[in-house]
Amino acid sequence: MSYLKESLSEFWASKVSKLGIIFLLVVIAVSIFTVATMPLDYGTRYWSNPRYWVENPKLAKPSWVNYFSTEKLLEHAVLPSEFSIPQFSGQYYLKNYFMNYELKVNQFPTFIMLRLENLTYYKSPPTVKLFIERPDNKTINLYTLNVEKPLSEEEPPFVRYADEPKRILLSGETTIAYALSSFLLTEYNLSTNPSEVMKMGYEKIIFGTLVNGSFQPLKGMYHIKVVLSSVDGRDNLGKVAFVVGGMIFGLMGTDSLGRDLFQGLLFGFPVALLIGFTTSVITTVIGAALGIVSGYVGGLVDDFIQRTADIINNFPQLPLLILLTFIFGGKLWIIMLVLVAFGWPSLTIILRSMVLSIKNAPFVESAVSMGASRLRIMLRHIFPQVAPYILSQMIFYTPSAILAEAGLSFLGLGDPSMPTWGQILEYGFKNGAVYLGYWWWILPPGILIVFSAVTFVLLALGLEPVVNPKLRRWR
Amino acid sequence: MGIVRTLAVKGATLLAVLFCVLLLTVVVVGATGLSDKILNAMMNEELRATRQKLATQIKDPEQLEQAMEKIKETLIVAYGLDKPWYVRMPNMLLRIITLDLGNAKTQQTFTGSIKVADIIMERFPNTILLMVTVLMINFILGLMVGVKVATKPGSILDRVLSLYSSISYALPTWWLGMILILIFSFYLRLFPFQGMRSTPPPADPIGSFLDLLWHSALPIITLVIALSGSWIYITRSIVITTAQEDFVTAARAKGFPEKLVLWRYIIRVAAPPILTNLILALPVYLGGAILTETVFGWPGMGLLYYNSIMAVDEALILALTYMYTLIYVACRFVLEILYIILDPRVRYK
Repeated sequence: MSYLKESLSEFWASKVSKLGIIFLLVVIAVSIFTVATMPLDYGTRYWSNPRYWVENPKLAKPSWVNYFSTEKLLEHAVLPSEFSIPQFSGQYYLKNYFMNYELKVNQFPTFIMLRLENLTYYKSPPTVKLFIERPDNKTINLYTLNVEKPLSEEEPPFVRYADEPKRILLSGETTIAYALSSFLLTEYNLSTNPSEVMKMGYEKIIFGTLVNGSFQPLKGMYHIKVVLSSVDGRDNLGKVAFVVGGMIFGLMGTDSLGRDLFQGLLFGFPVALLIGFTTSVITTVIGAALGIVSGYVGGLVDDFIQRTADIINNFPQLPLLILLTFIFGGKLWIIMLVLVAFGWPSLTIILRSMVLSIKNAPFVESAVSMGASRLRIMLRHIFPQVAPYILSQMIFYTPSAILAEAGLSFLGLGDPSMPTWGQILEYGFKNGAVYLGYWWWILPPGILIVFSAVTFVLLALGLEPVVNPKLRRWR
Repeated sequence: MGIVRTLAVKGATLLAVLFCVLLLTVVVVGATGLSDKILNAMMNEELRATRQKLATQIKDPEQLEQAMEKIKETLIVAYGLDKPWYVRMPNMLLRIITLDLGNAKTQQTFTGSIKVADIIMERFPNTILLMVTVLMINFILGLMVGVKVATKPGSILDRVLSLYSSISYALPTWWLGMILILIFSFYLRLFPFQGMRSTPPPADPIGSFLDLLWHSALPIITLVIALSGSWIYITRSIVITTAQEDFVTAARAKGFPEKLVLWRYIIRVAAPPILTNLILALPVYLGGAILTETVFGWPGMGLLYYNSIMAVDEALILALTYMYTLIYVACRFVLEILYIILDPRVRYK
């Protein structure tokens, strides 16, 4: 036991191991946080579901870039409104939803979108109108939506947009071109046809003023009003939201589908830990068991184990990993299984030679003379001698498992049911992030791969003087 | 006798490795029905060619159909598609070894051939060029820096190296490549984004060589940075361990100059284990090269791997796995011979 204690204190003495432990605690803490706060089917339910991300700006930089640049970028904004102010105009029941938006920076929104949820009506289909009152007190009647008629077999109340909210990408609506065309005519006495308006860009006209022939952003408060007008007082619209597309989003920005990279990166933590930990533990257990048995039992068993280990140990890993995951499909457990299958031999070969030198030590012989069984000798007398080495190999194998999975993901063979750092990088690479300079898409996942792998390398380095006493003097 | 015997044992192990990988491949490919798919594609290709040829001779459509039916039957027997996959195994093995795997789906050679063997043979030299260059640079770098650091353990340089090696062990080569492209190609515009040569390539030989150098700079730098760290560190550790042996102390006690002690007593003894580590690192090099080629669009077999996965081209993936195993086994054999030259104990056993 004192040997173990000595090893532990030797391990704890180096700064490298302390740093490794701190890093490991960070990785574990983030993983626990992620598993506790995000659903386990996050990958299939949200990450690979493009509809979930349509309101996000695409390829937006992280929000914090504004702290480092003098020219501020427009923040993404979603303006919800659930409460309406009722009004009766003699003929129609009106419900008004108000939202305010302040344009603070010298930029135009990248897109605008209107989201409607839970619309119920009783008699004839209502209409939804969108008005924008600008800082210069000019109002644009931007858009009118005629809600779909009830189907012939449907009974009132008619419910719309309940399961899937209605999202109208205003930036792509052709009808808006007419509204803006008349706005331009009355305000600037500028006669345009709809296709010219479309070419100018709706956002520039709505959020700007014409200065010397070109549009300049008009800063200030915009009042957005959505009006539900219907013939029945009971008609209601559950929730309205106005989305102003920005150029920066969240902590880590978004990818080309508008996915929040922060969430994907967060989910990568438990996945990396799972891959690294599970693979290395199973690999080490198999490798250590076979190595001790091979060394201690000897004979034909030894020959068989060693020949097998020799051959598998000489397999070129990545090409076979590619072939097998390609054939059996990129499931996470298949990747881990293949990593285990090719990972155990190196430990077995080294452990065997270590066991051979311990096998005839006096303490083993005395145990044999006392009538201890082979199993007992291997477990109680030989295993503790090689335990620190086994532990260091286990830790040392963890980063290679994490890196192997990342590499496979990068080749497009990752498990599509969950986001991993490697897959985020692969998607970024495939979409030209490197050639177009989307650094926020490329840097963080790689840094996290390196961070998680370095954690285990540091731990393994801290264990090195324990395992190889010759190196002790030099530290 | 000693050398021959050792070489024979090593050679036999490596051949066994090659055979086992091939066997594993054939069994997996056969049991999952992939070999049927590949053979069927090859047969249909041949049928189409025959039909075109026959159509010029036999004008009657009905007669043509009958003739084709007969040819198809003979072809099914010829390709062994009437037998289960395990009977066909030796045949499939032979096909992989000779790269006789039909046509690729989307890839083609510079001259337009779509045969798997032609495509691979075109890409092969490019991969070897990149791999051998990096291997040589790393070997020399590791030996020089590793030995230098080992003479002053605990120095600042030693600590920096420890940090660098632990980071480089944890650094995915392909990600480093992406970062270098981002910095040197996108922001600084110093190096090309992709490829191996400019289009069109310079006509004169010197310009052509410089062009190749310019294109290969980033991939080589990437691989050297990513792979040299752990390699230097291993060299350092082995040299330090050897430096503590009694015979080194004895040599110093005799008053030999430090340089002589270092080269004759330390490095001469440390060389074989250092080489062993190079042998063990070989799969990492192979893997790193595959991924790096992909990132840099280097037209070698690694990029071909990536493109075949994207195009779900089974025949090419099969052929590439075989080729990489072959390269690996060949490199191993060369290194084993080197080992025997370096380690007299093996020679005189």
